[in-house]
Amino acid sequence: MIKGLYAAASSMLANASRQKILAHNVSNLDTPGFKQIVTSMGDFVKTSVVFPGTRQPTPSMMAYVGELGLGVDGIIETTDFGAGIVRTTENELDLAIEGPGFFALQTPQGIRYTRDGRFIKDLAGNMVSVDGFRLLDLNGKPIKLPEGRVVISSNGEISVNNAVVGRIGLSEFKNVETDLARESGNIFSAVNAPVASKSSIIQQGALEMPNIDPAQIATSMSIIARTYEAAQKMVQNQDELLGKTINTLGRI
Amino acid sequence: MASLFHVLNISKQDLMSRLIDMSSVSNNLANINTIGFKASRTNFQEFLEHYEKHGVKVGTTQVLMGQGMFKESDKPLDIAIDGAGFFAVRLPDGRTGYTRDGQFSLDAQRNIVHANGSRLIWSGQIPENFEEVRVENNGTISYRVGDVWSTAGVIPLTRFPNPGGLNHLGNNIWVESPASGAAQTGNPQTNNLGIIRPRVLEMSNVNAGDELTHLMTLQRIFTLSLRSFQQTDQMISQSINMRKG
Repeated sequence: MIKGLYAAASSMLANASRQKILAHNVSNLDTPGFKQIVTSMGDFVKTSVVFPGTRQPTPSMMAYVGELGLGVDGIIETTDFGAGIVRTTENELDLAIEGPGFFALQTPQGIRYTRDGRFIKDLAGNMVSVDGFRLLDLNGKPIKLPEGRVVISSNGEISVNNAVVGRIGLSEFKNVETDLARESGNIFSAVNAPVASKSSIIQQGALEMPNIDPAQIATSMSIIARTYEAAQKMVQNQDELLGKTINTLGRI
Repeated sequence: MASLFHVLNISKQDLMSRLIDMSSVSNNLANINTIGFKASRTNFQEFLEHYEKHGVKVGTTQVLMGQGMFKESDKPLDIAIDGAGFFAVRLPDGRTGYTRDGQFSLDAQRNIVHANGSRLIWSGQIPENFEEVRVENNGTISYRVGDVWSTAGVIPLTRFPNPGGLNHLGNNIWVESPASGAAQTGNPQTNNLGIIRPRVLEMSNVNAGDELTHLMTLQRIFTLSLRSFQQTDQMISQSINMRKG
């Protein structure tokens, strides 16, 4: 009975965590390049259940009933790297990637990767992310934009006033789910080194919106609420049963 | 372990961010007919701290410097900039303000003044006996006395390394900020400052369709965030009231 109590409680904890991930995803429904976090539940270790018959002389003679799960072993978080919808903005330095590539940014902690294509020019004329990190070119160098009209072609080549000034370097990962680790500010650090992207193209004047489906969010929300409620009811039921057991059996 | 109170905070931050974004969209929509107005955008960013999820944070506000459409005018001092520059005006407090709003006129002392009364900064003077003025593509202002046209001076233009970082003062006037970088001034048609178009005005660059679509999206996200907030609250209440009697 106590086992059941903990199993139900573990489900409540897991669903509280799922609710946190859901709130985080909802918060970023309007953050360009955001990749949603998806959750799955891990099974807790199973334990053998034996029937402790009253007349068995030795423990070995106890009747084996089967395996009992002990609830949920927390939640497993993964990032869904599926593509989001591309929205046109017509801003010169808004870029969207079509394909599996990532922009490479120079941060104080090293190179980081992002699909967030909101770029601006810093005071030195470098192309930087909205958080001020420099965008890197094919050779891993910052891209300096002279004054003038910027045209970026689909292969990432940047021209200012019809003169080519550089080419954006896109990176690609073999197993993107395991090769990248999420960090604050819509960026990822590489666990395994990337390769140059061959099949991605850049669209100027557009942004990739998050890959979250609001209908899916609404559904998950109901599932989380009901699962939490059910687990909470199970805790209550077992608490009542436990109380009855103690009060009834204890009375001689 | 995730505390549900922390989840409430994520949703609260989310709701506040949507409200900030809504006021930015409202401001853009309110200025859909303001000459020389530039739309701005609030950039939100995912927020994690020590790998703990915190939802979203307001990153930066960015002025979108895209060129507005031109509208013809019959006033000689209605001028527009085709390019990246700004007109410089002397603000009442002595600072230099920058604007793309080219609705200028002459005051009693024949100063060229902006709609809010600030004087345009230019090199020259229009004499008392002038009969007509005109502005050319290169910024030259000429005046006519009788049948003779003479040059009065040139309207310079100013540009910034990062115009998106200029501080907005209101009244369509911006001032230099550490984020914008130092002003670079020169004559029109030089250094990519742009061309002056006489007898036209630059319309607001706000795109009504985009802004309204964004507003609708924001309303939906707000509703979803609010539901998430209420649900977390309900989950907290359920766990508090779990033990009966």
